[in-house]
Amino acid sequence: MNSLIKALKAEIIKNKNSNITWITFAAFALAPVMGGIFMLILRDSNDLAKTSTLSAKMEFMNVAANWDSYLNILSQAVGVGGIIVFGFIAAWIFGREYSENTIKDLLALPISMAKISNAKFIVYIFWTIGLAFFNLLTGLIIGLLLHLPTSNDFLVSAHLSNYFITAILTILISMPTAFFAVWQKGYLAPLGFMALTLVFSQIIAATGYGYYFPWSIPGLYSGAGGEYKLQLDALSYGILILTSMAGYFSTIVYYRFSRKNILPNFKRKRQE
Amino acid sequence: MHSIETKNITKLFGRITALDNVSIQVNEGEIYGFIGLNGAGKTTLIRILLGMIRADSGNAYLFGKKLSSDFNLWNNIGYSVETPHAYPDLSVTDNLKVYYQLRHMKNPTLIDNIIDQLHLGNYADTKAKHLSLGNSQRLGLAKALMHRPKLLILDEPINGLDPEGIIEVRELLKELSFNGATVFLSSHILDEISKVANRIAIIHQGKLIEELTTEELTDKLIRKILIQTRDNRAAVQVLKEANHTAVLEDNGEIALTNSRAVENPENISELLVEKGLPPKQLYLFTEDLEMFFLRMIKYNNP
Repeated sequence: MNSLIKALKAEIIKNKNSNITWITFAAFALAPVMGGIFMLILRDSNDLAKTSTLSAKMEFMNVAANWDSYLNILSQAVGVGGIIVFGFIAAWIFGREYSENTIKDLLALPISMAKISNAKFIVYIFWTIGLAFFNLLTGLIIGLLLHLPTSNDFLVSAHLSNYFITAILTILISMPTAFFAVWQKGYLAPLGFMALTLVFSQIIAATGYGYYFPWSIPGLYSGAGGEYKLQLDALSYGILILTSMAGYFSTIVYYRFSRKNILPNFKRKRQE
Repeated sequence: MHSIETKNITKLFGRITALDNVSIQVNEGEIYGFIGLNGAGKTTLIRILLGMIRADSGNAYLFGKKLSSDFNLWNNIGYSVETPHAYPDLSVTDNLKVYYQLRHMKNPTLIDNIIDQLHLGNYADTKAKHLSLGNSQRLGLAKALMHRPKLLILDEPINGLDPEGIIEVRELLKELSFNGATVFLSSHILDEISKVANRIAIIHQGKLIEELTTEELTDKLIRKILIQTRDNRAAVQVLKEANHTAVLEDNGEIALTNSRAVENPENISELLVEKGLPPKQLYLFTEDLEMFFLRMIKYNNP
């Protein structure tokens, strides 16, 4: 436990002056800001934007200028946009050691690579949870500033639970991105993987089978797929959790194997 | 007990044999110079010693313990492999703090001490990405030395250092060795190795071709008296008649290699003056490590 705390402290120091932290918060703040702009457009019937295609589309999607719609937009931003931002964070945390050529300085230390890897996952989880709270807080401030009304059946607890479960699902399913960072030793492969999963999640969700494709599930849960959310069942969540765990364990195992003398070397054993 | 011992280490990269049955023993407290051309296998051996890559056959031992998953003496080892890298957005101090945590250290003054020792005080708050190559090298050494290891494995530690920095590192290594630490030093800057190492190993094309102490090296280095006179051919004749092994070299100088001449050059001078061939130039030439190294390589790769 002490080793894990030391590794965690080291990870915190590493991220201390990182611009990436603020960039991810700024990028994630775009969702509530854009959502707020949509609300403005929809609210004012005299607004020129009312005639725009954007406004027409929002009305078609049954989006109204109220808290229900706004919180739904925030949930969907986490479920879909989170795949990008959270995946980027996982790629950064694990890929930086290779891109910055510091991985070799981690290999001959009195601390296991598994502990370093776990510390990185803890930072990832706190970072992404922080982003989820920040996104919600920014949204609440913008919503209050806009004096958004509530609908008759508005239930804040239902919205918050929808938001946070979507965030947790997105955090879980972005963890396998870390494996691509350690496997391909850098940022490019995980970013490519992340882009690919995002594209596939949209295509597969559109075909109606998104409930069994783990990267579509957070988006569907958030309500971005409308009625497709009803298709989600225990198996869907099971697939998502299994995929997440597979990503986590494969990252730990592969990171541990960076220290090559712990690899089972069958060839060497045979020669001995 | 040897601080480092390898037994018949072989490492292949595809069809290329990076290391071919390399066996070395590095004693406690010595400075062991490991020299070779680029691509000779120096860094490969260091990476094997640090568990970064596996040998295809053979074993490596540190402090008598076989390198395996159970090996847990990493805090007794400090290392710097190839070009030192650091977290670019972290200051010198923060970079050291990262390894302070990862090495489970409990004495915060160690960070300040090593910063002072390596003259990084003016750069303590400078981000690593803004350091010069020399100061990056110092930071790499600081990471390797901060925890006062018993064994220091350094790969090309003086690359990029200015002359003053080279002297500082040399003195530092001598001091560490004096205090009981073992230093395994790889370099292609042979002059520097010859100034600090107690023992030297030469690796060429993956094979250990020579391993010798500084004393043995001194004995093996070619020493000769080089002479110029008004008439070198006549002088060679005179010297041969006096039972010296005198030869006329390609550049026209007379070379005397027999120990009687090398030990007493003044006698040669007297002899030539007596015979009316006073030397215009007479000096004792001693082969340096660089020449010895090239001679060994040429001998092993005709």
